[in-house]
Amino acid sequence: MSPRLHALWLKESIALLRDRHGLLALFIMPTIFILVMTLALRDAFTPGATIDAAYVVVDLDRSAQSKALIKRLDKAASFRRHDNDGDPEAARRGILAGHQALALMLPKGFGERLLTPAGADGKPTEPLQLLVDPTLSPALQLAFRNQVMAALGALRADELTRRAGKLFGLPTAPAGSADKEWPDEIRSTAVRGDRSARLPSSVQQNVPAWLIFAMFFVVIPVSSIFIIERQQGTLQRLRAMGLPFRLILAGKLLPFFVVNQIQAAMMLLVGIFVVPLFGSEALEMPASLPLLVNWWVVSAAVSLAAVAWALLIASIAQTSEQATIVGGVGNVLMGAIGGIMVPKFVMPASMQKLAALSPMAWGLEGFHVVMLRHGSFADILPSLGQLLVFAALALTLAIWLNHRALTAHS
Amino acid sequence: MLLIDGVSYRYRDAATAALQDVSLGIPAAAVYGLLGPNGAGKTTLISLLAGLLTVAIGRISVNGQLLAAVRAADPRAIALVPQDYAFYPMLSVAENLRFFAGTLGLKGGELQAQMDAAVAFGCLDQVVGKRAERLSGGLRRRLNLAIGLLGKPRLLLLDEPTVGVDPQSRHFLLDAIAALPAAGSTVIYTSHHMEEVEAICQKIAIIDQGRVLAEGTLEDILQSPEPFLELHLARPLPDAVAARYPAVATGRLKYRLKLPSTAALPRLLDELAAAGCEVCDLNLGQHNLEQVFMRLTKRSLRD
Repeated sequence: MSPRLHALWLKESIALLRDRHGLLALFIMPTIFILVMTLALRDAFTPGATIDAAYVVVDLDRSAQSKALIKRLDKAASFRRHDNDGDPEAARRGILAGHQALALMLPKGFGERLLTPAGADGKPTEPLQLLVDPTLSPALQLAFRNQVMAALGALRADELTRRAGKLFGLPTAPAGSADKEWPDEIRSTAVRGDRSARLPSSVQQNVPAWLIFAMFFVVIPVSSIFIIERQQGTLQRLRAMGLPFRLILAGKLLPFFVVNQIQAAMMLLVGIFVVPLFGSEALEMPASLPLLVNWWVVSAAVSLAAVAWALLIASIAQTSEQATIVGGVGNVLMGAIGGIMVPKFVMPASMQKLAALSPMAWGLEGFHVVMLRHGSFADILPSLGQLLVFAALALTLAIWLNHRALTAHS
Repeated sequence: MLLIDGVSYRYRDAATAALQDVSLGIPAAAVYGLLGPNGAGKTTLISLLAGLLTVAIGRISVNGQLLAAVRAADPRAIALVPQDYAFYPMLSVAENLRFFAGTLGLKGGELQAQMDAAVAFGCLDQVVGKRAERLSGGLRRRLNLAIGLLGKPRLLLLDEPTVGVDPQSRHFLLDAIAALPAAGSTVIYTSHHMEEVEAICQKIAIIDQGRVLAEGTLEDILQSPEPFLELHLARPLPDAVAARYPAVATGRLKYRLKLPSTAALPRLLDELAAAGCEVCDLNLGQHNLEQVFMRLTKRSLRD
């Protein structure tokens, strides 16, 4: 190995190891983000997860059918049910006190009139009444109504079946035993390249997202060292020693590429071993070697784009403060529109189109192709292409800016 | 001999040239002083010599060979010591020396030997393990200079190497720089400090507004075309003498006279003796470097 390049790599590594703020931004920040965001968004990524809203059922009927309905609602397990001893006033007070957000009133005669359309027998039908905390989101109110309607429908179907069986002299279950295992649940299945498996969890979304974000934060240490070199005449000294600028850049690329790969390994370990300690699901990585190689190739392409971006910012900025602001704000913007901070699928269509402009989105797409869809090398080529073209353009621009600044003459 | 021949240079978008037809002859194994106020063109000239800027008009050569070719053949031949602390504050003294030695392509025993020599030159042995950011101003200057010597350069470019140091460290640095030609190095030394240049430079050039105003040895530069004589007499200056030589009174019975040349001194003394005017004290004065500079540029060096 060239002693010049070795010296440059060694210097850059020592300088980085002594930059506590840089290390903090590169390793501690993403770890915290992964933990916090994985836990915060855990339910958002889990279909059918328990919703943090409670309800009570005020059973004024106390029939077999009303008990069967309660059983069905319990089975859905999305909303938490609190006990109620049939007191409507207690249910109302519970909502006002914030103990529960919903109260479902089952009126007297509920079981008897389960299969009777309203007014068909000349008697008025008292509807089910739902008391609602007005601060509960309309989406959750609707979700609960739908859940009750679904349970009611299933209960009616059971009752019809039971009565029909009785009519034809078939053996039937007693009334209200509406806990047959009807295929009444929808199980979501992710479509992957090799075989079907579960949907990605929060940790599988957040680890690659915050890893990319952290990789791009090499802009802080890269620019701080580079600007010191430029301001203090060290770059001039190195050039006077006959060191070509491209070699100086190469001296920066490799150490920070290695740093990015250490970040990748560390964030994977956090996802696999640390996240479960906080009650969330562990990160699941592809098991086959080709997929792991593809994952690393995406990681390498993200790293090249991140270091090239950092060198461009360092070349544009005149001071460390400028680099921190321009680089930091640039990263946050790329992360915000690129689906790092807010998952792309919750964005409106226009914002999703904008996300296509963010290098962070290209990297995230590459990781998702490998991790979630188990895509082949051909599948990640579009992401790789975008990242590598971005890296090449940023590096070319950085070299041109430095060449222009250092060799300005008429 | 390093020859700068008719070099002109203008920065992009600049209204005037930073250097205009500059020609200098810099002897080998000597300390050459480059004097000029801020904006005179010193740094531009140093940058051209260091290869940071490209010579567009004119020629710079060493013993007939273009300087760029000398640099290409041996990148260690020329070293620049910038005015700023051009090293890494977060690295220790030893790590800085090792890094710069490495970028010069040194390795193994040669690298260690050059590092040791640099440490010895800068008397840095007590602080080799200390981070550069924790060194005093004087020690930083010594490290800055020591780094420049790692490649045993034939041409060493020192841009204001004593800025911001205490008198002790300045003295140390000047002694160390003055000793460099003995080892075969040619040193080009820019400074604002006249006394430094007078102390260590064998040849001097004064430049201002991109032009060379004077060049030569210290004696050549200080050689005044109109020497002056300071006299302390026992009696007032005789009118006949005052009529012959323009004189001003500088104190009681003290006068300053302009002589057409130093050869006129014996005749003047004879005339004073003939007039019975006893000379108590006499000083045939010459301008110092700062006075010469002010006369040439019409402004102070620190403007």
